[in-house]
Amino acid sequence: MLDLTEQIVKKALSLGASDAVAEITKDKTHQIRFANSDITVMQNWHQVSAEIFIALQKKVVSTSISDLSKDSIENTLKNLVSAAKVSEPSSTYKGLAEGPFKYKSVEESYDRRIADLGDKAIDFVYSAINAANAKRVAGVLYSSSWERFLSTSAGINASEKGTDIEMSTRAFNEKDESGHGVACSRLLNRFNPESAGEKAGEIAKLARKPIAADAGKYDVIFDPLSFADLLNCAGRAASAFDVDAGFSCLAGMLGKKVANFRLSLYDESNASNGFGSVAFDDEGVPTQKTAIIKDGVLKNYLHNTSTAAKYSTRTTGNAGLVAPYPRNIVMDAGGYSKDELFDEVRNGIYITNVWYTRFQNYRDGSFSTIPRDGIFLIQSGQIIKSLKGIRVSDNLLRILQEIAAISRERDWIHWWEVEIPTLAPYALVKDVNITKSTM
Amino acid sequence: MFDLTDKVLKIASKDADYAEVRAEHISSSNLVMKNGSVESAEFSIGSGLAIRVVVDGSLGVAFVNSNDMKEIENAVNSAVSLAGKASHGMKTKANFAPEKPNRAKYEVRQKKKVEDMSLDEKIALLKELEKSVVSQKINVPMRFFSLNDELRHKLIVNSEGSKIESVIPKVNLFYMLTAEKNGDTEQRMNQFGSSAGYEMWDSWKIREMVPEEAKMLTTILAKAVAPPKEKIDLVLSPELMGIASHESCGHPYEADRIWGREGAQAGESFMEKDSIGKRIGSAAVTLVDDPTIENSYGFYLYDDDCVKARRRVLIKNGIVNEFLHNRWTGAIWKVPSNGAARAGTWNREPIIRMANTFVLPGDHKVDELFQGVKKGVYIKSYMEWNIDDKRFNQKYTGLEAYLIENGQLKGLVRRPKLEITTPAFWSAVDACAKDLKFSTGNCGKNDPMDGAPVWFGGPHARLRGIRLG
Repeated sequence: MLDLTEQIVKKALSLGASDAVAEITKDKTHQIRFANSDITVMQNWHQVSAEIFIALQKKVVSTSISDLSKDSIENTLKNLVSAAKVSEPSSTYKGLAEGPFKYKSVEESYDRRIADLGDKAIDFVYSAINAANAKRVAGVLYSSSWERFLSTSAGINASEKGTDIEMSTRAFNEKDESGHGVACSRLLNRFNPESAGEKAGEIAKLARKPIAADAGKYDVIFDPLSFADLLNCAGRAASAFDVDAGFSCLAGMLGKKVANFRLSLYDESNASNGFGSVAFDDEGVPTQKTAIIKDGVLKNYLHNTSTAAKYSTRTTGNAGLVAPYPRNIVMDAGGYSKDELFDEVRNGIYITNVWYTRFQNYRDGSFSTIPRDGIFLIQSGQIIKSLKGIRVSDNLLRILQEIAAISRERDWIHWWEVEIPTLAPYALVKDVNITKSTM
Repeated sequence: MFDLTDKVLKIASKDADYAEVRAEHISSSNLVMKNGSVESAEFSIGSGLAIRVVVDGSLGVAFVNSNDMKEIENAVNSAVSLAGKASHGMKTKANFAPEKPNRAKYEVRQKKKVEDMSLDEKIALLKELEKSVVSQKINVPMRFFSLNDELRHKLIVNSEGSKIESVIPKVNLFYMLTAEKNGDTEQRMNQFGSSAGYEMWDSWKIREMVPEEAKMLTTILAKAVAPPKEKIDLVLSPELMGIASHESCGHPYEADRIWGREGAQAGESFMEKDSIGKRIGSAAVTLVDDPTIENSYGFYLYDDDCVKARRRVLIKNGIVNEFLHNRWTGAIWKVPSNGAARAGTWNREPIIRMANTFVLPGDHKVDELFQGVKKGVYIKSYMEWNIDDKRFNQKYTGLEAYLIENGQLKGLVRRPKLEITTPAFWSAVDACAKDLKFSTGNCGKNDPMDGAPVWFGGPHARLRGIRLG
């Protein structure tokens, strides 16, 4: 396939493109969905596609195709060059990263046993369902193997392959009594589907007979599952593209304090066994660990070559050719055990999961998100009641400022709601604004 | 790939109780303009086959985008084999609800075809919008526009003899504007979409709306005051009635949610199988979901289970009337499908999706709704919204909103928050106006996530005795 990406780039240049990138991805993905403790559907994807990007005198156009025949590619390139000719120069496009580069394979990122999993996946599903030990269990198991091939006109010819497997499980008992657990890995021997079921089942059991909560300010312990959702928002807001487009509360804050000194947050696109890890970005730049926030201070936005040029800095290996993005969000661990963290709370709430996070204003950070699954009232460090019907209505920057304690324990989180894989701890946040329906 | 469908159906039917092959070819484009600069122009051509089989009450699906028959055959055989193996441990086995074979071919006619629009013409459309904002000399430092179009050709054949072929174009504009004053900001996100060609651009009245909204943001920053705290009456615009229809009526009436199939992802529902016939709102509320509206963003005439589409009346005069079904939930509940199965694209499973969900207009003039309010708030647009995963507790935070005193619109109020349960919302509606307007959205559901194009809307409506948060 690398021969083909090379040929596409050469052909694009011969047709008049000044820069060209071709990336082909092949993937085989298997999925088992289940609900009410029964399998509901088994799905398989066998896909190949090519992404082609060209610049012609700073006029930027791209395409995605699945027909990789010679005729299809030639027609596509001709159409692309024609389109570029009538387009307008981008004022922000600054070229591609000049290679070649030396790459270091991502550690713990490929396991043939995942690629060959077959119907063993069914056993994983039932092991998670059984581990939950709940009245009803729903969820999904994915396993995937993939390859990518990248060539650019700036001297890049690179390829890599990977595997991944993940389980998301939600356990239900009586009305409004539910819990959620997830597990994900790049290697089979680091994958524990039972742990997802066990956690979901434990929270569902603890969530017995929830009662309506009072609105007000509470100290909140966010579970890694719920805090990962908020860290996803912070990670996305670090993309230089989002900063310029108005989708970020981190705009204009470089070098300034944006969070409590306890918070250090990174994009670690090359993390060992990182669920989103790759060896190189979409320009072919080796991926790296980039500090977004260090000790509460905003250190870097995430860049490709073009956004880096605007900010007079170097690419962070986070291309997206148009918009840079984080691949693994990693928060530094703190010094507390989970129990010690709970001991810090006199009167507060433990939120195990959230969903539907929406911003009133991306620029100033005001948002709300809805806890789902177990929500618990904590008094003097102990869980004393199960709650329901609340909403976190606050500001992302204020939440990051009010982080008061962080656990040593961290979990990798990736599921339907948390799209960017995130290594998140338990976090205690002071004075979180909790609202609920007024009628 | 369309020429392979019969051959693939034959292979899939061999060892399955039901088989279906869906072929799609999608040519699409996306143009992004950020702060006046063309950031990206993308043209994509995608095609693929989705093969569904039911084996002993177990559902298997294979998605392939190769023309290689050997690869397709391997994928199909794998789907049949795995579905068969999974069936052994299953307690709830379901075939599809009975349906007569349907055969039809339809196409949405375009006056200004998406495939004929050149890139420079599209750039000109966005530049015009960009200019309409920056020429006003107001402080709107961030402007983001994304213009999408597609032409989707779809052919579905199944082992029962159904054959449905469709060609549907779509055009969609999304934008976000950020206004700033002394470090304070307000933002407006909005979207327009139709199943049509570019002739719809003029009907959206986008040229007038974008500069007006930009100016409104700066006025909100300059003049809006805190909303009242006491109980008041509320007048909601079609935009607000639309999002409430979609979130707190359409979603909880999806039978797959009620059964629990989306439990670990988009969630379940506060509705129960026996909620039909129970009161959920006032007699002023009749709410429907209708895929058959010409040129609507959620338009189709046959769903992806090959079932003929029709209007579904979800709430009739305040009473729960009907849920949304596909053939899978139909089989489980032993009811006919009402044609709600849809996949957003070729590599997604068709599941129950809304199409165009809206409150039917009432018999009041819009002015009459305001005249009946002594003290209240009118919410015209919103930014933040969300709802819990059973669709019971929802929140809408107003953007452009006004105080009402003695039937008259007064000054702007800033970010009024309506946080309310679903029964309280629909029970508080005492009157609906005669008007009707739709908003555009991409509804998120399914796993993997599948954004389904939808409209949602309604008339202006009045809600009595509301306490804002």
